[in-house]
Amino acid sequence: MNPLCDYERTITRRTFLGQSARGIGRMGLASLLFPGFMRAPSGPHFAPKARRIIYLFQSGGPSHVDLFDYKPMQRQLHATELPDSVRGGQRLTGMTARQASFPVVAPHWPMRQCGVHKTWISDLLPHTQSIADEICIVKSMMTEAINHDPAITFINTGSQQIGHASLGAWLSYGLGSENENLPAYVVLLSQGSGKNPGQPIFARLWGSGYLPSSHQGVLLRPGVNPVLYLKDPPGITRDQRRRMLNDVAAMNRKEAEQVGDPEILARIEAYEMAYRMQSAVPDLTDFSDEPDEVFDLYGPQSRRPGSYAANCLLARRLVERGVRFVQLFHRGWDQHIALFQQLPAQCLDVDQASAALVKDLKRRGLLEETLVVWGGEFGRTVYSQGELGHPSSGRDHHGRCFTLWMAGGGIRPGFEYGKTDEFSYNIVENPVHIRDLNATLLHQLGIDHNRLTVKFRGLDHKLTGVEEAHVVRGILA
Amino acid sequence: MIWYRALGVRCLLLLCLLAVGCARPDNRLVDYNYDVRPILADHCFACHGPDPESREAELSLHTQEGLYAPLRDDSARHIIVPGNPGASELVRRITHSDPQERMPPLEAPHALSQFEIETLTRWVDQGAQWKPHWSHIAPQLPGLPDVSRKSWPRNGIDHFVLARLDEERLNPSPEASRRTLIRRLYLDLTGLPPTVDEVRAFEKDKREDAYERLVDRLLESPHYGERMAQHWLDLARYADTNGYSIDGGRHMWLWRDWVIQAFNANMPFDEFVIEQMAGDLLPDATDTQRIATGFHRNHMITHEGGTIPEENLVNYVADRVKTSSEIFLGLTFACAQCHDHKYDPITQRDYYRFFAFFNSVPERGLDGDGGVNAVPTLEAVTPLSTQEEIAQVRSQLDSLRMLQQSPHPAEAVWQERERTQLETRGKNLQLHPLQSVKVTTPNSGFTGNTLPDGAVEIDQPAWLAAYNVLYSVPNDLSGTVSGLRLVFYPDSHSGELGHGSGPLQGSFAVTSVHIQAGMQPADQVDYHNAIGMERVTASRYHADYPPESILDDRRHAGWSPGIQRARPSHLTITFASPIDASEVSYLTVMVNFGMGQSLVARRWKAFALTGHDDGSTYSMDVERALTGESIDEQLLRDTFYQRASEAAPIRQAIANLEERLTVLTQAHPTMVMATADSTRPTHILYRGQYDQPLTPVSPGVPNWLPELPEATGRLELARWLMDPTHPLTGRVTVNRFWQLLFGRGLVSTPADFGARGALPSHPELLDWLTVEFAENGFDTKALLKTIVMSATYRQSSHTSDDLKLRDPENRLLARGPRFRLQAEFIRDQALAVSGLLVKRLGGPSVNPYQPPGLWKEVSHYGSTPATAQTFVQDSGEKLYRRSLYTYWKRTAPPPGMMIFDSPTREVCTVTRELTNTPLQALVLLNDPQYVEASRAFASLLLNEVPESERILFAYEAITGRVPDREDVERLQTRLTEEMREFAEDPRRAEALLNVGASPVSADHDQVEQAAWLIVANVLFNLSETITRS
Repeated sequence: MNPLCDYERTITRRTFLGQSARGIGRMGLASLLFPGFMRAPSGPHFAPKARRIIYLFQSGGPSHVDLFDYKPMQRQLHATELPDSVRGGQRLTGMTARQASFPVVAPHWPMRQCGVHKTWISDLLPHTQSIADEICIVKSMMTEAINHDPAITFINTGSQQIGHASLGAWLSYGLGSENENLPAYVVLLSQGSGKNPGQPIFARLWGSGYLPSSHQGVLLRPGVNPVLYLKDPPGITRDQRRRMLNDVAAMNRKEAEQVGDPEILARIEAYEMAYRMQSAVPDLTDFSDEPDEVFDLYGPQSRRPGSYAANCLLARRLVERGVRFVQLFHRGWDQHIALFQQLPAQCLDVDQASAALVKDLKRRGLLEETLVVWGGEFGRTVYSQGELGHPSSGRDHHGRCFTLWMAGGGIRPGFEYGKTDEFSYNIVENPVHIRDLNATLLHQLGIDHNRLTVKFRGLDHKLTGVEEAHVVRGILA
Repeated sequence: MIWYRALGVRCLLLLCLLAVGCARPDNRLVDYNYDVRPILADHCFACHGPDPESREAELSLHTQEGLYAPLRDDSARHIIVPGNPGASELVRRITHSDPQERMPPLEAPHALSQFEIETLTRWVDQGAQWKPHWSHIAPQLPGLPDVSRKSWPRNGIDHFVLARLDEERLNPSPEASRRTLIRRLYLDLTGLPPTVDEVRAFEKDKREDAYERLVDRLLESPHYGERMAQHWLDLARYADTNGYSIDGGRHMWLWRDWVIQAFNANMPFDEFVIEQMAGDLLPDATDTQRIATGFHRNHMITHEGGTIPEENLVNYVADRVKTSSEIFLGLTFACAQCHDHKYDPITQRDYYRFFAFFNSVPERGLDGDGGVNAVPTLEAVTPLSTQEEIAQVRSQLDSLRMLQQSPHPAEAVWQERERTQLETRGKNLQLHPLQSVKVTTPNSGFTGNTLPDGAVEIDQPAWLAAYNVLYSVPNDLSGTVSGLRLVFYPDSHSGELGHGSGPLQGSFAVTSVHIQAGMQPADQVDYHNAIGMERVTASRYHADYPPESILDDRRHAGWSPGIQRARPSHLTITFASPIDASEVSYLTVMVNFGMGQSLVARRWKAFALTGHDDGSTYSMDVERALTGESIDEQLLRDTFYQRASEAAPIRQAIANLEERLTVLTQAHPTMVMATADSTRPTHILYRGQYDQPLTPVSPGVPNWLPELPEATGRLELARWLMDPTHPLTGRVTVNRFWQLLFGRGLVSTPADFGARGALPSHPELLDWLTVEFAENGFDTKALLKTIVMSATYRQSSHTSDDLKLRDPENRLLARGPRFRLQAEFIRDQALAVSGLLVKRLGGPSVNPYQPPGLWKEVSHYGSTPATAQTFVQDSGEKLYRRSLYTYWKRTAPPPGMMIFDSPTREVCTVTRELTNTPLQALVLLNDPQYVEASRAFASLLLNEVPESERILFAYEAITGRVPDREDVERLQTRLTEEMREFAEDPRRAEALLNVGASPVSADHDQVEQAAWLIVANVLFNLSETITRS
């Protein structure tokens, strides 16, 4: 470690109250909640196209075969054996590795060509069909991971190995918050109707890894305590709380004068922000100021706190308030079995609200600066897991290609990128590794993924890891 | 060790530079290790370093040969010509004006600064003297340097520290006050604060050796072992669950007990390491020595279906390599799993040779499901068991059981309440049939059917079956809905209630029920909005499956009506608070069946209840006794102790003590290391891929480290690590102990002593401590004693403006260390001060308070035999154990700990960040744990401290300090004002006091208690309370 650099960083951190930041956005108390804002190692490196991201993460691996990556020819190939040449000795998960036959299963539901670009979208997603001209569909996403834990860890933290910082933590660290009373990185969870419970998810997906823990995602939950411990204990009034905090502040200030530790001043500010959060968060989660028309747009489930639809609406309210990164995790997309029954339910959960979010952001003028991402950790096999056509059959994990869509934030609308073979199995054009996706997301926020680094255990870590990653220029507007 | 002298001078140079900002280097000697290597490592090694695969232009700047080598394409010229910067290619390239020629290239992450360029240039000019990396040379005992103030040093440490301060013309800080010192020592050595009496006694103790006596006493405290273990758990990635995605429960607490015991017994540190690495291989290994080897089974383990066993096995071994290399060698071996290390001389071959030591465990790639430890395992009794505690627990149990035979003051109240309950039984009861709309089940293609008559029918049961049923509520339902009834019917074909086999042939078992109500249809229950349940009754039940067992979410217990052919049975749930029928259009009910078998019902209907349940939780005999139809005092008393909420504390205490007795007297399972009969061959793996083996390798260590003569196995490796002449292990260990007491190590990157790690701030001090440690037989307590006895440690932590500017991170140690307490100590302190703390040592992990739903919202609840999918809070003493015993679930760790920077323990953690956030304020203000501690402390004040001294005592107890008059007045005002406020609305006082599970003191006025609670909570929130100064 270079002690000089070390020293510079220390000075920046310790004396941040009196110095200007190198980052964009407003400085101020936000920096206390998210100190990274202050010590943004390199801040935005160039003018950003987007200021914030809403990541609609579909956990479990949505079937790209059934929803987006359609090849009409598959109707003829249905029930035929997937040629070995297509599988090409690929490693399979333990779920289907011992299967004797790999019959192709064509999508069970009608597909429709939508928008100017005539892109295929399943009838299971009628509302998504209606925003075809707003979104950019990437059909050539790929990952090496074939099981949930490594795959979902990979796409969210840039590594299959555990212990790295999540995308949201990096953004918080690199850019900080634009809101004085809310965290920079908010996570919202919902359970899928198709499969409940879905594959487990874990704190590390929104964790801070080797970054300070103040950059980890803050979960907002439905109910009386949207943020853990937000609510005063029963019997305590707001006035009473204010008086207590005044005492704490006065005594802390005196201590700061006596011992000269700047951490104490930071703590005083942290308490003030906690107090403000106690009113800012309920104000955020109280939807009573939303007209019926908005609930109609997002669908009836948006009135049910904790649902995916309500989380989409909440995401809009969060970005309106300047939250940098909102990540929804909707569980239940792991259709190994009973795909015919589970998939429609999963689609019903998310379709209307996802489309509504894009429409709503657009009409409010927020879409330009908000990048919306919709996708999971991998796709699903074109071949059947289990006996062909059996009600309990489904599709296995597939990392060689999968589909994801993006909207707003400087991404080319009404566009389709990348191509797979007729089995929706191998990429034939413009592969996009999940590293490239992450590099692109950072790029849209004005960050060079090669330059946003942090030194830990002797290495300069970055979100995109040690392998090369490229910004996907082809999808930029 | 001549170079060490120079090294000291270099530190001085650097610090001078630091002190005045980035001044230009003057003519002092530039040191390779301190000034040059860090620049080369940061900017050049990635392409011209140890990794040949990424090496450009065949140029190796990390070796002596490479630096002085001739150029590849022009052997007349050299990379470096000592004394001649003009002729040195290195200097030419870093100063070149053409961006194409200049190094590092434009695309490199960072350019060289002017200062760095000048440093390199002057190093060449001064003769370009190369040196081996400092941490690769075995430490030797340095002499004590001369110092200015001969009276200041108390031991060797102070000589080194003062000599540096002398060079800087800085003075050490005065000794901290007695009060500060005792609190500092208590927290550092036991993780608990001193009591007011202890503080006052120490302040008055004028004996010459009062301080030393205190140190000795604390090192003998049983809590010393807990404190040291706490630190070791992070390094050893200890957790109570397997991690990865399903994250089911495991049993490893015996290993944690071993660590506590080892520290308390002051096991020499070399033995401590050897037993953990290879205790199973010691001659005549004891159970205790084998428990120790759980250290290398603490890594994560998966049984996720679909994962590939061979790949998982590689991950497990890789974790052992990572952990061992970081915590013993201070090297980041992990990089070399895929390629040669880019900065340190660790090749991929070195990596897999090290890997081979740990690759012979007879373990399985998928294992650990259903709460059963992954093999290999051992069953043994905890090393912390003492006859004394066994006797004590037995006698406590005896007296509690005796107590259950005697009258209880609340019996009459309970009887009255239950009589009223029986009188209202069935009153105004109406059943409103609900229409089933949809039924889903996870992980199964076989879902039930919804029938036109509202029923749900299951024709093919699943093994793990959680059925989510969406019901619509009839429009004409009005009033308040008080509960829900599920009526189970025999199937018309089979005549059976369920699909079960075995002892419950033809029947079923319900393990839990979750209900949610709302205006919108929901396919599944949102755990954060689930309806609370007050009581559960059943029309009948099998003696082993009583209805109330569904209140525990876990799948090990459930309700079953038993085998009842052709007769419907029902289960009735009364809500904790009735819901307004006008606000309910839909109910979603999740019914969990099975207990790991296909004990699924065949057909059921649901009814909303208005009025009172007509069921009873009591047998007919008890009912008759309660209503006076029969006289049976003994039956009533027994029932009171078994069932009454007033008797819950006694029941919980008995259950907890019974469990404790089992812990102390019986064998429990733990995971251990062993050696397989046929060892797996180890290969270098191409890019670390499990399925791409290259050359086979045998166990071994990098060749630049001391030789390992007989590289046969883990035991030899462990002994090699702890050899007193090893250049790394001793330094790394001593540095971490230093970090424990000073907040940062002498080397500030405790897991990286390599080329890109930090350089030691006091290299000679580090070596002095390391050599002394080895010469003292790795006596940990002696090492810690030496450190805390030093004048350096005893300095005041007050920071002058001058020091703040010159040395903000306190690297020179001109003042005492000051840092925020770690998560566990903050909670433990609140428990200790308030008198809630239960000071038992060791045992299984416990589940104190945490907000509901946190496990279920992320876990595989209802769909896996794995345990630890739903959180069930403990009761009684298990709520008040020290935080190192808190159950650690890796995918959803205790939130109150995480907010204060605890790691998830998925992988080894050497340093915790210390952040300062609003979420921390919310924990200390609102977490029931701290509200309850404030209340308990308030009642302790009222009970034990005279009124006039209470504020003084409270302040002292929590901060260790005596408040000034202003503070006393401020707190007095707070007390008076809050008393007045609560007196206006005593219900608020009552509500506040009811937070937490411990009984509220009935001896004092509630208004007064609540006001004192506020004062205590203010004190628990002070910055100085959570800071060790």
